[in-house]
Amino acid sequence: MTTLELLSAREVVTRYGDCVELVPMDPNFHDISVGLYELDGISTVWTFSRRPGVEDRMRDIVKRLVKLGGMEVADAWNQLRFPCGHLHTRPLKFLTTAAIERTAERDRPEELQIQDSKSTLTIDMTGQQYGNRYVYRIATTGEARNPALRLRAIMAGFVRYGEMEKIDDSTIAFNCGKKHDGLARLILPYSRNISAFEDAMEADALRGQMTTSTLGFAST
Amino acid sequence: MAYEETMTPRERVMNALAGLPVDRTPVSNPTNVATVELMDMVDAPFPDACRDPQLNAELAATGYTELGFDSIQPYFTIIQESSALGCEMQWEQKDNWPTVRMTNPIWKGESDVKIPADFLEHRDMVSVTGAIEILKKQFGDEVAIIGKSMGPWTLAYHVFGVETFLLMTIDDPDMTMRIMDKLKEATVLFADAQIAAGADAVCIPDHATGDLVSGEYYKRFLQDIHTEMAQRIDAPLILHICGKTLDRMPYIAKTGMAAFHFDSRNDPEEAMDAVDGGIGLVGNINNPQTLYSRGPDEVRKEVYACLEAGVQMIAPECAIPLQTKLQNLLAIPDAVKNWSAERL
Repeated sequence: MTTLELLSAREVVTRYGDCVELVPMDPNFHDISVGLYELDGISTVWTFSRRPGVEDRMRDIVKRLVKLGGMEVADAWNQLRFPCGHLHTRPLKFLTTAAIERTAERDRPEELQIQDSKSTLTIDMTGQQYGNRYVYRIATTGEARNPALRLRAIMAGFVRYGEMEKIDDSTIAFNCGKKHDGLARLILPYSRNISAFEDAMEADALRGQMTTSTLGFAST
Repeated sequence: MAYEETMTPRERVMNALAGLPVDRTPVSNPTNVATVELMDMVDAPFPDACRDPQLNAELAATGYTELGFDSIQPYFTIIQESSALGCEMQWEQKDNWPTVRMTNPIWKGESDVKIPADFLEHRDMVSVTGAIEILKKQFGDEVAIIGKSMGPWTLAYHVFGVETFLLMTIDDPDMTMRIMDKLKEATVLFADAQIAAGADAVCIPDHATGDLVSGEYYKRFLQDIHTEMAQRIDAPLILHICGKTLDRMPYIAKTGMAAFHFDSRNDPEEAMDAVDGGIGLVGNINNPQTLYSRGPDEVRKEVYACLEAGVQMIAPECAIPLQTKLQNLLAIPDAVKNWSAERL
């Protein structure tokens, strides 16, 4: 028995707001679509599927959003918000994808450290409270031809995908000024290689589009 | 006087196609509306919904019952006939469109062009005609049911491959015309079958797109064929061609078809000027940017631009992206109703 109501498209949008993230196929539950709808700072996990077991799956996803992204459950079991009160729209995309498409076995380890994808450098993030703002310092260790250049590119990745603010050449902060280790951990792998990730996002965006290009009816 | 809806959705669409007065501009996508969320709502995912009449009908109906469009279109793809002709298919998954593997074409020349005797009985054809029967039974005269039958140009891309076919038009235009004449019969057969099943109008996508061929090409190879279709097929026809098409709109306007479904790469006012009252226009809300990745405000702006230009039916420019968010689709009829309330 599910407590998920049967709602029309209009009722969902009126009650829960606009869909801000949509995962078209949940590989861990019958390829159902799962959306994150947002209204007044509250994100609602929603699916139109009513397959047996769907509510348990939604509850799993909510737990993963809490665990991976540091969100907290709000007014109802399928509603969440960030404790800072901000929306963090761009990082939410990475969080939603990780919560739905990945399994717990593939979650990244706790430490904020990763191997660079374009050099032998190791990238470390350390967070610290400075006054009323929590900042993250990015450092690289190891051998590379131009570590400063790599650091600049990685910082740019955080600014782009985390909607973070650059404070100086090696420190950044989330726009809310609060600690978000979970979001930082999720963005870390993507910050290493913006161009490759942009290509992947573009390919994702084209999937399911019917255009002269995707139909093969264009010259390019 | 307050704006009031006095027509059924079907009356609204049929009047617009006939050039008659309407209580408000209809919202009607001749090339369908389906999304992954709507698939889940009725448990009719791709590709099954493209191949089973019941699933097809249930998914197609959501365009009316959930989104509030004035028509239902139960042919989601552009490949049903090509599958029935024997093309190699890639059916894909729920989140992507089935396609023809045009790199492995099934025909090489004129002598290969044969429409199988059981063409209309193929499961991928019955999925459409069967769905129309189900929808007609369910909705009667309440909502317009629009069929779809691919034109000979699109079929030729699928059966010969795009490059081979385009080279053929240069190397042997006479043979190309003979092939078009043969393939045209497949279009007419399927359109007639859908009308017999209950379709009120038929969309004819024929991808002589601005990306690949010129307006003069349209005139030379397709204008007469489309004119003949408009005479032979006993229902209003809606031609669909993607891309920049302003250069061929004056020719399209002379075919006798009821409407032309046009792409957002054409400015609505320029398009209205180009057809000069010779044919109705349907469109042209942008898919890849506006509907897919922007919000209801941007959708409303594009709907208003079409309405201000006098476009006769409002629709996305083509089949919508399967991951289109619901708020953007609901914004289309909302915008039309708001505009009507402000102006009428």
